[in-house]
Amino acid sequence: MSSIAFPTPDPAILARRDDIIAGLAALLPPECLVTSEDERRAFETDALTAYRRLPLAVALPRNTAEVAAVMAFCHREGVKIVPRGAGTSLAGGAIPQEDAVVIGVSKLNRILSVDYANRTARVEAGVTNLSISDAVMPDGFFYAPDPSSQLACTIAGNIGMNSGGAHCLKYGVTINNILGVKMVLIDGTVVDIGGQALDPAGLDLLGLIVGSEGQLGIVTEATVRLLRLAEGARPVLFGFDSSEAAGECVAAIIGAGIVPVAMEFMDKPAIEICEAFAKAGYPLDVEAMLIVEVEGSEEEMEAQLARICEIARRYGVKVVKESRSATETALIWKGRKSAFGATGRVADYICMDGTVPTSQLPYVLKRTGEIVASYGLRVANVFHAGDGNMHPLILYNVNDPAEQAKAEAAGNDILRLCVDAGGCLTGEHGVGIEKRDLMRHQFSEVDLTQQMRVRAVFDGRWLLNPAKVFPLDGRIAA
Amino acid sequence: MQTNFTSAQLADPHMAASEKILRSCVHCGFCTATCPTYLLLGDELDSPRGRIYLIKDMLEGGKPATAEVVKHIDRCLSCLSCMTTCPSGVHYMHLVDHARAHIEQTYKRDATDRLLRALLAHILPYRNRFRLALGAALFAKPFRPLLAHLPRVGKRLAAMVALAPPRSPAVTAEPAPLTRADRRRVAILEGCAQPVLQPAINAAARRLLARADIEVVRVAEEGCCGALVHHMGREAQALEFARRNIDAWITAIDQQGIEAIIITASGCGTTVKDYGFMLRDDPLYAEKARRVSALTCDITEFLDRLDLPAVSTAPKRAVAYHSACSMQHGQQIRDEPKRLLRNAGFTVRDVPEGHICCGSAGVYNILQPEIAGRLRDRKVGNIERLRPDIIATGNIGCITQIGGGTAIPVVHTVELLDWAHGGPMPPALERAPGLNSRVVQFPLA
Amino acid sequence: MTIVPTKEAEAAEAVRAAQSSRRTLSIEGGGTRLAFGRPIQTDDTLSSKGLSGITRYEPAELVFSAWAGTPVAEIEAALDEKGQMLPFEPMDHRTIYGGSGAPTIGGIAATGASGPRRIQAGAARDLLLGVRFVNGRGEIVKSGGRVMKNVTGLDLVKVNCGAHGTLGFMTEVTFKVLPKPERTLTLILEDLDDERAVQAMSAALGSPFSVSAAAHLPADVGGARARTALRLEHFAESITYRARELAKVLSAFGRAREIEDDESRALWRAIRDVDALAQPKDDMLWRVSVPPTQAPALLARLRQAGLSFRALLDWGGGLIWIACTENAAASTVVREALGGDGHATLMRASDALRASLDVFQPQDAALMKLTAGIKASFDPDGILNPGRMYAGL
Repeated sequence: MSSIAFPTPDPAILARRDDIIAGLAALLPPECLVTSEDERRAFETDALTAYRRLPLAVALPRNTAEVAAVMAFCHREGVKIVPRGAGTSLAGGAIPQEDAVVIGVSKLNRILSVDYANRTARVEAGVTNLSISDAVMPDGFFYAPDPSSQLACTIAGNIGMNSGGAHCLKYGVTINNILGVKMVLIDGTVVDIGGQALDPAGLDLLGLIVGSEGQLGIVTEATVRLLRLAEGARPVLFGFDSSEAAGECVAAIIGAGIVPVAMEFMDKPAIEICEAFAKAGYPLDVEAMLIVEVEGSEEEMEAQLARICEIARRYGVKVVKESRSATETALIWKGRKSAFGATGRVADYICMDGTVPTSQLPYVLKRTGEIVASYGLRVANVFHAGDGNMHPLILYNVNDPAEQAKAEAAGNDILRLCVDAGGCLTGEHGVGIEKRDLMRHQFSEVDLTQQMRVRAVFDGRWLLNPAKVFPLDGRIAA
Repeated sequence: MQTNFTSAQLADPHMAASEKILRSCVHCGFCTATCPTYLLLGDELDSPRGRIYLIKDMLEGGKPATAEVVKHIDRCLSCLSCMTTCPSGVHYMHLVDHARAHIEQTYKRDATDRLLRALLAHILPYRNRFRLALGAALFAKPFRPLLAHLPRVGKRLAAMVALAPPRSPAVTAEPAPLTRADRRRVAILEGCAQPVLQPAINAAARRLLARADIEVVRVAEEGCCGALVHHMGREAQALEFARRNIDAWITAIDQQGIEAIIITASGCGTTVKDYGFMLRDDPLYAEKARRVSALTCDITEFLDRLDLPAVSTAPKRAVAYHSACSMQHGQQIRDEPKRLLRNAGFTVRDVPEGHICCGSAGVYNILQPEIAGRLRDRKVGNIERLRPDIIATGNIGCITQIGGGTAIPVVHTVELLDWAHGGPMPPALERAPGLNSRVVQFPLA
Repeated sequence: MTIVPTKEAEAAEAVRAAQSSRRTLSIEGGGTRLAFGRPIQTDDTLSSKGLSGITRYEPAELVFSAWAGTPVAEIEAALDEKGQMLPFEPMDHRTIYGGSGAPTIGGIAATGASGPRRIQAGAARDLLLGVRFVNGRGEIVKSGGRVMKNVTGLDLVKVNCGAHGTLGFMTEVTFKVLPKPERTLTLILEDLDDERAVQAMSAALGSPFSVSAAAHLPADVGGARARTALRLEHFAESITYRARELAKVLSAFGRAREIEDDESRALWRAIRDVDALAQPKDDMLWRVSVPPTQAPALLARLRQAGLSFRALLDWGGGLIWIACTENAAASTVVREALGGDGHATLMRASDALRASLDVFQPQDAALMKLTAGIKASFDPDGILNPGRMYAGL
């Protein structure tokens, strides 16, 4: 079935499984260690379920010291480690290996402190993204990055993938909103990097760690920036007769010097899927829709909207619909953020994540449709238009191996298209296993080698999440 | 998500239904975030997604349930919060019901567990047996600390006894209503435990309906809805209860023209509304079950459709409305109870983290006392932050569970509505110190 | 010898030659920030001056790329023509270091120079989307790209930003830009002490009115009276409203005066470049990062320790510039006053002092080991700006 290869499990490790588990059992209480096959099975995949590997064991430590003890043990024993947050990766970032121990941070789920005067919060890495905003929202603050999975995904995972979200157009992605981390290195050493200060003391190690896909260490705590909520926020729906018109409108809005808080795109199939689930009032008689959110006081939002509407009219906007209440706003975003899951009602899907320059959006959208059609499949497009981060959902039947192969081939074609159009393979989901074998399309051997040399500083033996990010051949060690 | 069933397996309609559910799951993990046990335990195996995976593996392999699988399925509250969250429309309820039945058929629990479950299954669904048992429990209450020390089953026995109310409620005889041909008619499920524990609830419902000139038809043959045993995987027993109730109600529908089957315990409502699914493959009952489910509604759904007069003399009581899981998740009823309470003059406050279960969940608080206790404390903490005068909810299980953790009186929504519309003060308020004395001029209606 | 490549390939060739002959290289752009970091002696100098020019500017995509040696002035002029700007308001170090060279965009990336708008729009590293550089092996490496969202592979962009040329010789950089605000207005509160000033700035930054800069000039720093400045930048119609609302938020701290246009721009340029502390030239100058609310206590500790100094607070109190008479003991005083969560960089002092003191905040052994490892992974023979950040690295 699977076209993405996993490394052959190390037979020496598999043979020592009982000893390894005994060693882990000496470090963790029974409720923090998963060893039976039935139970390990539940950890064999993440949100990229087409790929699955049963892990050797799953450790669910409760604090930094336990994470450090487990990592030191694995390092000593030469056992591979696959870090796991909430297991919501669409790129297979948390998929285990047979000869690896999964270290999950889901029990590290407390908010440690909130500091409004300095506009930061200190959290354990297993807290969910949304729970931070939930905790500070009553006081008028929020944590800005908002990946669609924010309800469930952990800060640890966000740091691993440098997650983005709809509102990143204005507020930036994870790296722009994290000030410090406590991280356990492969040998169990605990380091504190950054803190509440706004710039690094020396080299920007945080800039290296955020987005490193669990290959440099395991983050157990983080200091995140809190931002003050705007006075008001209002999403507006713009319906167009064609995807191209919507795409051109996006480029024109940005080009006019207006940077809305969020600018999201949905094509007709995506609108229908999301509307069926969220009943958000999306227009069903259009080919494409933009959700544009503006912020500020009532008058400010009106003024900004007037400018945006004026541009949208130039691109033949057919429907303009403003949210009229907090409930409507919540539904509009619920529909958008549930898009992937709701697609599951219709078909299985794989979700691409390439980014292209916004001027290339109309072209790439058109080509995406042609590529998917050429494989005899369907596509739904829902993505962050403001920053060109596309999410074509290729619909297929996972129980049909031939269709899966076609879907993956179409996906690879689309990603290559994104790179060729001046963009990249992944804007916010990460490389994981999914895009690993396409890395050479974006990077030269020299580029990749330099990345691997840096990686080797942290983990010279390739024990941390080793099947991911870098093509399996041509790897270099310390 | 991908599944791996043989066509022989899929010939079993139960299996086919579960396969369809599993296929709709995209394994996105959203459900983990709103699952009470995942919140407490931080282990994916104690989350819906983990359980779905355990169930998938068990069913695909055609394997008997293992102790590990049973542990995690048993920890599920069936609160169905995951179903509210799920963007893909995974019908977790039907899947976990299937798994529980599979466990019951293929897994041998240890002797004490079997005994406890049998005890519950043979007492709780039967009004008279339950009444007797309650007397015994009241007798046993002083010995609770001793009970807790019994090996294996002690904590759970102690939990069970702790749930018994402080005194055995009096059974109030009510005059049979007069029948008039032109009146609208409904039935109210009497069920099993509720009329024993809190007869005042259905009495309040009947008074409210009577004021709206709606006749409540007594359906003699009905009884437990089957939810309690259904959640223990005792499918056959559950279906027996369902068929008996269906027979009784179909007669009432056909002969007395009842327009609705009203439920005052949302836990029962979720199950009765699911009769149509539970008996879908029973040629004799499928159609009847569908009819019954279609006519079933929660008392607040029904009252919300009536034109109850607004109450002008506002009581200024702050009510924390606790939405039972079976209400908000099982039946997706959210606004009606709050709207009714507001229209009746109460100040209604939403409980933070309101989507998380209080730990009652049928007999869960007896079978899993530790998790249930932690959830109760969390719930009570969230409610008490609101400093309400009264806690209102629509499910007897929650009333008992939350009432065990707070001094704030916990009443059924309809008791407050009835009081506001001219009925007696709810018994729990009369007993509440302080609150009683402050209730001066109300009700004036 | 100074090597001035005019093509990227020539730069790579020069580094390869240096590596094979074990000759060390100073990396230089416009030469306006050479006094930043530890003084170093190298065999040769590799200059980016010959790599100049904007290679791509897409106003509609809010992105430009330029060769590293492109003068900042040239870039700002091009952006200005399209009504855009570098969002992070990079500092011009000539004010504190003197010198007459032209600052380059590569120098900004190499030093991670970020000005007052850092608190709202991000630092240089947040806006730097892509780099091309020559590593210490003479290999041309690219990382990042020209799109705003990009998490493909290990990010080598940010670690190069602010690495002071110790990891690679940057050849091309790509930055995100933003539209210039239609209107700018600054509210000024007067006569607040450090404590009250930080409270006022915290209140402003915790308000919903998108304050884009918050700085405090104590009495006798750039003016007789203490001034606390809060900047609003937005659409023209928003500014009047926001200024009024923000003044309400700040009413407990006194009546705010408004300045606009040239006066406002001049003030923020002066704050950005630390004009007020630039003279006398031989004063030592520290740049301290702390959680904003810890700034007043830190300054109080310095006074308690008997240090005579002048200070300027930017980033709502999170960035403190401290000027004092040059002396070695001040290093101990400043770093001991930091408390747990801050760091200090010695921005200006004599070569002798910068050679003997830690210019960058000393880090614990585990972090230094990582730092050394990263340096070696880019530059195994230590030929690029050796010792610029840390002795021996």
